[in-house]
Amino acid sequence: MPFLALITRNVLTRRVRAGLTGLAVAMAIMTVVALGVLTHSLRRTAISVLQTGSADFTVAQKGVSDVLYSSLDNSQVARIKAEPGIQSIVGVLVAAIKLDSSHPFFLELGIPPDELAPFGVQILKGRPYTATATNEVMLGWRASQDLHKNVGDVINIDGNNFTVVGIYSVGNVFGDSASMLPLTTLQTNERKPGNVTLAFVKVTPGTNIDALRKRIEQANPEVATVRTQSEFGRVDRNLSLISAANVGITIMALIIGAIGVMNTMVMSVFERTREFGVLRAVGWTRARVLALVMGEALLISFVGAMAGVVLGYLAIRGIQRVPELVGVFQPDYTSAIFARALGIAFGMAFFGALYPAIRAALLVPMEALRHE
Amino acid sequence: MSDAGAPGPIIQVTDVVKLYDDGLVRALDGVTMSAARGEFLAVTGPSGCGKSTLLQLIAALDRPTSGSIVVEGRDLREAGNDTYRRTGIGLVFQLHNLLPNLTALQNIEVAMFSNGHSHGEQRTRARELLDAVGLGAKEKVTPPRLSGGERQRLAIARALANRPPILLADEPTGSLDSAAVDRVLELFREIREREGVTLLLVTHDAHVASTADRIVYMRDGKIVAAPEADVPAAAPAP
Ligand SMILES: Nc1ncnc2c1ncn2[C@@H]1O[C@H](COP(=O)(O)OP(=O)(O)O)[C@@H](O)[C@H]1O
Ligand SMILES: [Mg+2]
Repeated sequence: MPFLALITRNVLTRRVRAGLTGLAVAMAIMTVVALGVLTHSLRRTAISVLQTGSADFTVAQKGVSDVLYSSLDNSQVARIKAEPGIQSIVGVLVAAIKLDSSHPFFLELGIPPDELAPFGVQILKGRPYTATATNEVMLGWRASQDLHKNVGDVINIDGNNFTVVGIYSVGNVFGDSASMLPLTTLQTNERKPGNVTLAFVKVTPGTNIDALRKRIEQANPEVATVRTQSEFGRVDRNLSLISAANVGITIMALIIGAIGVMNTMVMSVFERTREFGVLRAVGWTRARVLALVMGEALLISFVGAMAGVVLGYLAIRGIQRVPELVGVFQPDYTSAIFARALGIAFGMAFFGALYPAIRAALLVPMEALRHE
Repeated sequence: MSDAGAPGPIIQVTDVVKLYDDGLVRALDGVTMSAARGEFLAVTGPSGCGKSTLLQLIAALDRPTSGSIVVEGRDLREAGNDTYRRTGIGLVFQLHNLLPNLTALQNIEVAMFSNGHSHGEQRTRARELLDAVGLGAKEKVTPPRLSGGERQRLAIARALANRPPILLADEPTGSLDSAAVDRVLELFREIREREGVTLLLVTHDAHVASTADRIVYMRDGKIVAAPEADVPAAAPAP
């Protein structure tokens, strides 16, 4: 009989208990998966704002709750531009609007036409807008395909009609799924004259980027510079709060699941003391007894985790139906989230079963055999 | 494993003392005895005289307080005893001690993990043993649905799973009716003929003991002279 068959048999012998434990694991994993997908999707949406152009790093207002609330004025951008080592700095006003229910998060980037080149924009078709045009827009090539709008077409954005004058590429998904229009036009429409959201910095070759960032932050205490995704929390506190809550709840789910598994396995080991005595008496090693108990916990957790992943997926489908969130929240299922769920289920089984398994392995065969 | 023709006893127990409860209970009080290869030896005596304790020590389920037990030239105080329990001996307990959730076949297979044979070979061996103890038709039945005699025969089959040279049985007929007792005794005879094992049987039942080649008597944790002379009686006392 294969060892796995014995493990399965033992778990199925106590199927109600195993089922309930598996259910507890499933609920914990469901929470982890649903929250993970939610957080990841929000993060991706937020990160997209930072990755619309090519830059060595980005400057934003420090400590705002959402990166879209960041506000830098012309004088700040000018001051930063004066730092040595900066090749170009492009101030961009970013606005996120809802085009329609299938495009709930559409980015408008306000950039003066003469800064398109330093921002890394390539015109694929048509021409750039003029600096003061109030009804000209360029679409990223992905947005153009997605919205079925080409050069010469008219598009309604936030109540205003714009003519598509060009199709561009910036070489990244987020930028290419957005739109660009003159900075002054967007500033007027958004009622933010003289303000930009972010400044995208390119350095002259050979510049020490981190030293430059430090100088900028020292000279301008109200701004933060961001180079990698992990630094994003510096300019988007909501996101860092959500991420922290995600980590905290994940750890709690792990602990709760592990306690559930432990309770079940301790009970099981106690009831089966005599059985372990028999197994040791017929020559089982301590290691094999340990593996048996661990294996049973792992099997229960693994099946629970599978159910949890399915439940998590259904929970996200449910969240998507919440009227306020229809279309806004676009779930992003990454394999990393599922791998993490499995890892957590493994952790529950391991930490939950460790104590009972060791207890079972350390039983003195003779005493275990005498146990009623 | 020592060669089959090795001289000397297969089991040698020397001056074994076993104390329980911090010395309050002297379960074994200086026991010296031995069993020859292939012998059927019965250990008998009144309840509480230490028979089970002696058997448990020979089975390496527990350690003597002092004294030594050497089986096939190997001192049980040295080295790990898992392998010894798996391949050196087969154990039949007073209570059958089968796993109630496993089928008869699985109860035998469970004793064969990591014995170096494939699952297929293990299954074949388990079936062969079930046939040998007359349970060939009950391989899918779990112990609670077997009779007392069937359970004990299954326990004997399990004890033989890894072809041990020694079979240790503690009151194997204790809870059986006389027909079932005869069946089990008959089975032991067959096994000795077929597998050539050394059989050490602990019993308080004089009838069961009388089927053995030799009987060792115990009282109060000691080996005592036989009521009827059957220990080397070359020079009986006048
Ligand atoms: N685990 C134990 N703890 C304390 N006393 C024990 C234990 N096992 C056996 N004894 C005592 O040791 C003596 C011998 O017991 P045992 O070997 O079971 O006798 P038998 O099998 O001949 O009836 C008895 O007095 C018994 O009460
Ligand atoms: Mg006894």
